[in-house]
Amino acid sequence: MTLNVTTALKLNEPADIAHVWRASELGGAYASTIATGYAALSRVLPGGGWPCGAMTEVLQSQPGQHEWGLLAPALGALQAASPDSLVALVGAPYCPFGPALSARQLNMQRLLNIHATKNDSPAMLWAAREALQCADVEAVLAWLPDARSAHLRRLQIAALTHNKLLFVFRRLAAQHESSPAPLRLRLAGTLQSVDAAACNLQIEVFKRRGPLLGAQILIDTRPARLAALLAASRERVHQHTPQTEPAAALFDMSGILRKPLHALDRTASLQH
Amino acid sequence: MRWIALQACSIEPLSSTDGAAVQSLGGAIAPQVISAAAVQQAICAIALSFTPRVALCSNAVVMEVSGSLRLFGGLHKLAALLEASLHTFFNKNSLIAHIIRAQAATSLIAIGRLRLLRTGQKVPVRVADMPLHTLAATQLHMGVLERTGCRSWGDLLALPRDGVARRFGAPLLAALDQARGALPEVYTWRTLPEQFEQKIELDALVIHASALMAGVDMLLVQLHAWLLGRQSGLCALKLVWHLDKRRDGPSTGELTVRTAQPAQHPKHVARLIAERLNQVSLSAPVHSITLASLETVSLLDAAGATASLLIEPRQQGASSIQLIERLSARLGSASVQMWQPQADHRPERMQRWVTLDASGDTGYLATESIAARARINSVKDIKGIKNTTKNTLESSIRAEALFPTWLLHQPLKLASKAGAPLHQGPLVRLAGPQRLEATGWLLANGAECANRIDIFPALRDYFIYRSSQGVLLWIYSERLALTGGDQSQQKPAPQNQGQREWYLHGVFA
Repeated sequence: MTLNVTTALKLNEPADIAHVWRASELGGAYASTIATGYAALSRVLPGGGWPCGAMTEVLQSQPGQHEWGLLAPALGALQAASPDSLVALVGAPYCPFGPALSARQLNMQRLLNIHATKNDSPAMLWAAREALQCADVEAVLAWLPDARSAHLRRLQIAALTHNKLLFVFRRLAAQHESSPAPLRLRLAGTLQSVDAAACNLQIEVFKRRGPLLGAQILIDTRPARLAALLAASRERVHQHTPQTEPAAALFDMSGILRKPLHALDRTASLQH
Repeated sequence: MRWIALQACSIEPLSSTDGAAVQSLGGAIAPQVISAAAVQQAICAIALSFTPRVALCSNAVVMEVSGSLRLFGGLHKLAALLEASLHTFFNKNSLIAHIIRAQAATSLIAIGRLRLLRTGQKVPVRVADMPLHTLAATQLHMGVLERTGCRSWGDLLALPRDGVARRFGAPLLAALDQARGALPEVYTWRTLPEQFEQKIELDALVIHASALMAGVDMLLVQLHAWLLGRQSGLCALKLVWHLDKRRDGPSTGELTVRTAQPAQHPKHVARLIAERLNQVSLSAPVHSITLASLETVSLLDAAGATASLLIEPRQQGASSIQLIERLSARLGSASVQMWQPQADHRPERMQRWVTLDASGDTGYLATESIAARARINSVKDIKGIKNTTKNTLESSIRAEALFPTWLLHQPLKLASKAGAPLHQGPLVRLAGPQRLEATGWLLANGAECANRIDIFPALRDYFIYRSSQGVLLWIYSERLALTGGDQSQQKPAPQNQGQREWYLHGVFA
């Protein structure tokens, strides 16, 4: 009898039991999380950030569209916290471009780029697991378009046992497949070119430990200088009549110079 | 004189509950993974790391340790260390060895005690009470001695010396004197060769290269013991397999494995060999294999490391260098890359992805730098020195927020419609142009590179376009093509806009 009472009391306090949370609240069972760098996004994630020791599945229509904007702040903070840790990229669609990523506070010297000669998805899965098992690797970013749910489960277990950050990028078609990832996101770029403060990335969290999230999150992932450049260009287009010919626009910008006599033109030096 | 005698009673593989450990050595290990002779050799090698005076005598390993007592802090500490290092050696090779040990003032007494221990008999306190069969020299005369009532070493000593010499011969008397310490004991001391090279015949002809691992595992156990005895770490080794001579073609095949960090325990090397063997196809059946060490580095602190009484910190998973070596063993050397900045104005040449491979030149340096950095940092952690090299390194990297985060391996030529590029639908221009002109004279070593094909002038206007999916693309148009280096034939771009060629070069992800 006493036993029943105590269990009933315990069940009234789900916060005390790991992996149990109220349906209306966010689960907070993760051991640790890494801040995403975007307040709007952190607010809707359980634990307030990217979960360590769990797989985060990111779906987008094509690989190589929104990865760095989404992850650069978190990875930069991670590398700043532990300068010797490596970040492993497995099967990246293109070359990560160092100057731009350095500007986003990533330490390029501690980036490991792993790719197979041909599109060899079993080898990529193996490499991702090996990277997760390495003590020096803190985060793994894997592009696995052909991965099945059973394969992902192995990765999820590896991430869990070694307590690593793991992001798996897949195509939108994988949305309807079951997945072992406790956190799944869908990314899309926004098209409206309205105000300067326009957010460029639209995130839909369609699986998380917590209630279903109806609304989409809009964040601005562009660095300040790029946003400023785009805003300035937009201003210029508004002032002048829009030119359809690219070559004509080329000479509009320089204004004084009618011919490209200079050897090297620099970008407008805009402050952050 | 202090003598220690060692003998292995039984060797058995680790029980199946520790299947992971057995698997990690590269496959199923047969119960007869290691022969008795190999065990004896291994014990010899490990004993040699304590004293140079190690010999084999009637199935036992005897070692004279009086010269090493002071270094190791007494006989008890030395014996404990010896036992611990033997235990860790067999444990790391997934074996359970029951090794008995006896110590005495002379080697014959030690061997006699060992024999009593082995048969489970009580070891008498006085040497004179030791049973006579524990002295090897009495084996021939056992029957006569029994009948004369000699039961122990003391009984034999009590007999008159002349009579014993006449009846049983001088060797028995000499052995008795050696056991008493009256005569010096002469042994040929064992030494370890400078280079490890061992060949074994396989039980059966092997057709698949991956099946060679069973033999390799056996050799690696011996290599491990050799490394322990020489107190050195392995940097490179060579595996040679001897093919059946009845077939045409080469009679041997080989592979070389290099590691960036010297390793004493060849478990990591075993994994590398297994990955490499998986890619090898044998042209003929293999009957024997040879394992040879190519490069070793002596580890000065090896003795100190084994002497530590603290529990070793349990390492979670492999180190980064092991990861890199394992990945390049399976995926190919070009598959694992690190970033390197380069001084150039052209985006595709601002960076270089360097292959990390221990056998390559640049890759080796890069791997070394990772290893060195890990080492430096571990030292700094201990000493509490601030990391200053990092800042100087990062200041040399050019950071530019207006570049795209992804760069295509090769610029992708885009279709165009009415002078505007198309990529998966119509594009909207957001910014540009940003002009890039990098010709031969702008390059630092332009004169010497002028004739090379890969140095071509880049005259481009970069634009930022937004695709129909809301992704920012970095697209350039070739402003003009230089023909044969003759710059006077420049065609002005505006008149030629219909034929402008558009290339996708990056994505602002």
